[in-house]
Parts: sequence; C-alpha cells; structure tokens
Amino acid sequence: MALLSVEDLTVELQTSRGMAAAVRGVSFELERGGTLGIVGESGCGKSITALSLLGLLPDGARATGRIELDGTDLLSLDEAALCRIRGNRIAMIFQEPMTSLNPVHRIGRQIVEPLRLHRGLRGAGAQEEVLRLLDRVGLPDPARRINAYPHQLSGGQRQRVMIAIALSCAPDILLADEPTTALDVTIQGQILGLINELVEDSGMGLILISHDLGVIGETVDKVAVMYGGAVVEQGDTDNLFNNLAHPYSQGLFAAVPRPGAARPDRLQTIRGTVPELTDLPPACTFADRCAMATDICWRQVPKMAAIGPRGTVHQTACHHVEGVG
Amino acid sequence: MAQTETVTTEASVAATKPDFIHRALRHRAFMIGLVLTGTMIFLALLSLFWTPHSPTEIVISQKLKPPSMSHWFGTDQFGRDILSMIMAGAQTSIVVGLIAVSLGAVIGVSLGLWAAARRGWTEDAIMRVSDLNMAFPVILIAILLTAGWGPGITNAILALGIYNISVFARQVRGAAIGMWEREFVLAARAAGKGDVAITFGHVLPNIISVIVVQATISFAIAILAEAALSYLGVGSQPPDPSWGRMLAESQKYIFFKPVIAVWPGLAIVLSVLGLNLIGDGLRDLVDPRLARRR
Ligand SMILES: Nc1ncnc2c1ncn2[C@@H]1O[C@H](COP(=O)(O)OP(=O)(O)OP(=O)(O)O)[C@@H](O)[C@H]1O
Ligand SMILES: [Mg+2]
Repeated sequence: MALLSVEDLTVELQTSRGMAAAVRGVSFELERGGTLGIVGESGCGKSITALSLLGLLPDGARATGRIELDGTDLLSLDEAALCRIRGNRIAMIFQEPMTSLNPVHRIGRQIVEPLRLHRGLRGAGAQEEVLRLLDRVGLPDPARRINAYPHQLSGGQRQRVMIAIALSCAPDILLADEPTTALDVTIQGQILGLINELVEDSGMGLILISHDLGVIGETVDKVAVMYGGAVVEQGDTDNLFNNLAHPYSQGLFAAVPRPGAARPDRLQTIRGTVPELTDLPPACTFADRCAMATDICWRQVPKMAAIGPRGTVHQTACHHVEGVG
Repeated sequence: MAQTETVTTEASVAATKPDFIHRALRHRAFMIGLVLTGTMIFLALLSLFWTPHSPTEIVISQKLKPPSMSHWFGTDQFGRDILSMIMAGAQTSIVVGLIAVSLGAVIGVSLGLWAAARRGWTEDAIMRVSDLNMAFPVILIAILLTAGWGPGITNAILALGIYNISVFARQVRGAAIGMWEREFVLAARAAGKGDVAITFGHVLPNIISVIVVQATISFAIAILAEAALSYLGVGSQPPDPSWGRMLAESQKYIFFKPVIAVWPGLAIVLSVLGLNLIGDGLRDLVDPRLARRR
C-alpha cells in the first residue's frame, strides 16, 4: 500500500463569485521514500493541493475525496488529530523564507518548538538536537546562530532553518512548495541539493511543487502536471519528459527555452491566459486554450488513461490522446 | 476618537532595541511627550509623600489669593492651595486612567484575539456587542451607572473600562487578523501548532506595539473623560481632588478670577498632550517603514 494516496480530491474555495473548484478530481500516490513533483502555471492549484494534505485550507473551503496516509483518511480527522500529523508526519516548507519565520523570536526557539510539541524534548536535550539539526542543514556556526533573529540571516540561511524545522520530527513526507523560487540561482542549487540529500538519507517521501521544469526534472522520480486544478498528465519523470502527451504539457514545455537546444525562431507559448477559477471550462479545463479541442472536450471530463509502452508508468487525461488498450 | 483601522506594524522592536532607543532620543515629539508625562507621574508620586500645603485644608481667610511665594499657583475660593490640589489631582487622573485602561486592555485584548482566532460567528458576536457598546458614549454609560449605584469615582472608572473593552477588542481583532494571514502563522500551523499556541506565541508578540500605542492614547482619553465626568458631577466626589471638579468649581469665578480655571485646564491639556505625543511617537518608532521615511 502506498504511504500516501490521494483519490479524486476536489477542493472548492469561497470566491467573490461563489464557490469555485480550485482542485478537481486530483489523484496520485506516493510510496514510502518516493519523490513526486507537481508542476503547472501560477494559480493551477498546486499550493491548495499541498495545503489540503495538511487540512490547512482557507476559511469556507470544502474538500471532498480521499487523502489516505497509511490508510487513515486525513479528510475525516478532527483538528486535534491533524495537529499531531502536521509537522510530525507531514512537514512543509514554503516559498518565502523571508516571511515564514516569526520576526520576533530567535531562531533557536523556533526550532525547539516542534521538538517540544511532537517529541517532548526539553532543556539540554532539545538544545543539542537543535544544534544537530542546524548542522545537518549546513547552517554555518549554529551555536551562534540559534541566538539570531530571522532578519539577521540571509534568504538561503532562513530556508535552511525552515528545512531544519521541517526535519525536526523526522516526517514521513516533506512538502516543499516552491522552496527555491525566492532565492537566487546559486543558492537555489544548494538548497535543492540539500533537500535531495536529506530525502535520500532519511528515506522520507518528497512532494516538490514548482513551476520550474528544470528543478523538477533534476529532483523527482515522478511528475504530475496540473492545469486548472486538474492533473492532466503524470508518470515517471524520464518517461513523461521524453514523451509529452497532453497538449498542455507540450505547450508548457515548449514555452521553456532550453539551453543547448536549437533556439526556435519564436518562443512558443500557450495561447490565451489562465482564466479565473469561476470561468474555467466545465469539462476539460484546458478546452478554451487548446488547439486540438473539439465538442467532446466541452462536454465530458477526460479520464486518466495509461499511455506509452507496457511496463512504464505514464497517464494522461485527454480525449485526443490514444490510450493503450 | 476616530477609529483608525488596524495599525499594522512590522514589530521588530525586540530585534532592534539599541536602534529603537537611539531613534526615540531623536524623535522630538516623543521626547516632549515623555517629559510631560514624566512630570505628571512625578508630581503624582511626590504628592503621596509631600505637597506644599494640604490639598483639602480649607483656610477661608486665604481664599482666592493670586500666585505668591507661599502659594505658587494661588488659592481657590476655599483658600486651598491650588498647586497641592493639582498634584493630588494627578493621582486621581493616573489611578482612573491606569485602572480603566488595564480593565479595557485585559478583557478587550482577550476578546480581540479570540475573535481573530475563531472567526465565524464567535467573531460576529463579539464585534456586534462591541458595536453596541461603542454606540453608547462614555458619559452615557457613566450616567447610567450613576443612576443605578450613585455617583462616584468607581462608576467613572467602570464606565471608562467598559468603553475601553470595545476599543481594544476592535483594534486587536484587526491587527490579529492581519497576523493570522501572515505566512509564518501558516508555517506554524503546518508545524502542528494549535490556535492557542499560535495566538500567544505568534500573534500576540507581533501586535504588542499596537496594544501599547492604543494604551497610551486610551490613557489620555481616560484622563479627559474623568475630568469631564467629575465636571458633570458623576466622577470623583469631594473631597477627593480632581482636575475636572476643580474646573467645574472655578467656573463661578471665571470672570473675575480666571486664573484659577487656567491651572486645572493646563494640567489636563498638558497631560493629554503628553500621552498623545508618546502614542504617536511610538507608532512612528515601532513602524520601520515610517521611521525610514522621516
Ligand atoms: N484563500 C483563497 N481564497 C480564494 N481563492 C483562493 C485562495 N487561495 C488561492 N485561491 C485560488 O485558488 C487557485 C489555486 O491557487 P494556488 O495557490 O493553489 O495556486 P498555485 O498553483 O500554488 O500557484 P502559484 O504558482 O502562484 O503558487 C487560484 O486561482 C487562486 O486564485
Ligand atoms: Mg503556490
């Protein structure tokens, strides 16, 4: 059984124009120690999907479907039970290391808190563990840094602290929501390298959210491509990158200039812009921007179907892609 | 007072203490406020042990004397020393302000934090009740309490305290909601912290500056209101010294001895001004965005 299995997850949010689905029938699985990347344009529902795993949806949101962690349905848990899972079995790091630490508390205190909360560590034991964690995430001179306030650290250092907090309770799954987007390129590489290393060493699962295909390609074994709240294509990273099937994935990847590849005359982009949640087409959410769209795309939600050679894992949800029998 | 919506401050006060003191020393209005308020507190403390004359002793032969060496501010219609009365009156003002603000702050801050943490109908209920409360001016609350329990300083304090509950509840609710939307609160929730731990560990420490600023301004309003209530006869009662009652009693002599009305008037104006300058100064000093601009 998979460690985490998400089945037909739908999340409706309150918007100024009524309830709108930000996540539509998303399904994926994560094996123990597995790594999954979620890619897609801004607003496609990546963060909402991640937050729903922790039960941290905005006020008034409604989630349906199943999110099973080791067989327990997280959607049916109460707040107290969720608090025992958050930070303990599923930890999350965020995009903005500048704002995800509390400005008025010292670094040390912020790392001690989850240790006390979930592992009951106190005093010297906790202090020792904090130093070990900071050392593990490569923060230079941890003994001095525990007394620093967040504004005294650089962006990369703060993200290391966030990672230390996430690691503190040895979670089964690390959710990383664009962990390197706010950092400059060299630091990005270091932080990704660190995450990779930690995932390999500790055997925890990783869900990495990014709109940077390069980051995804280097880091994870499996990829899910999202558009308009739905997963449109997913599969083993190599497989998927080499045989893009869904028109949206093809457009998304074509929109990325690749170093080395012959430079196209004009950078290809997907026509149109991402519509508002409430304006998304009812069936296939990509129908209004898709060059291949026909009648059926507006009438019937496409089902995920396996494609590609036998023995490989690769699925897509498109009426115009031939499945394998 | 105009309800300014949520002063959102970056609250890195703790992180920049030496810098804060440095900037405070160069903030002229804040320093003037500090001196004025400091003088008032000093006079009140001094009056606990010593005043030039007894503030309550009536010496009819000395009535309505102009300022002199033995009576710096002169004497009133009963021959009481005005300086001594001002000093003792400062006690009353401070006691009223302190209790009314503490009462309002403790209950109001709790309600505001609760409303922000719970949202939904808890918040609605708290805010509607506070709207209702704010719809009654302090004077009216005081008069209602007086009708029930008779006039007295306790009722004035209670009336001000009740009013302040709403003031603090709204201010804190607004600031706290802003904090709940911050990413570090989401990060804290994602780390498994509950609402109570987040409220006291993350929300409250980041809105302390808002509360302190509100407290100084409410303190000034309380002094003014105590004076007004005593002036109207529903505040402190004789022989307790009070600036408001001094003002009321001097009214009869305003045309031929205006100076005896000036002293309590000046005391009220300067102490209210001092506290307001401190409040405004703090607002600048704890908000780094404003601080950089000046
Ligand atoms: N609190 C909220 N209330 C209403 N709508 C929201 C809320 N948060 C997000 N949304 C909407 O839900 C949709 C999905 O948002 P989400 O944050 O998951 O996007 P994302 O894929 O993470 O994008 P990005 O790459 O910009 O982070 C967006 O259309 C967004 O406008
Ligand atoms: Mg996002």
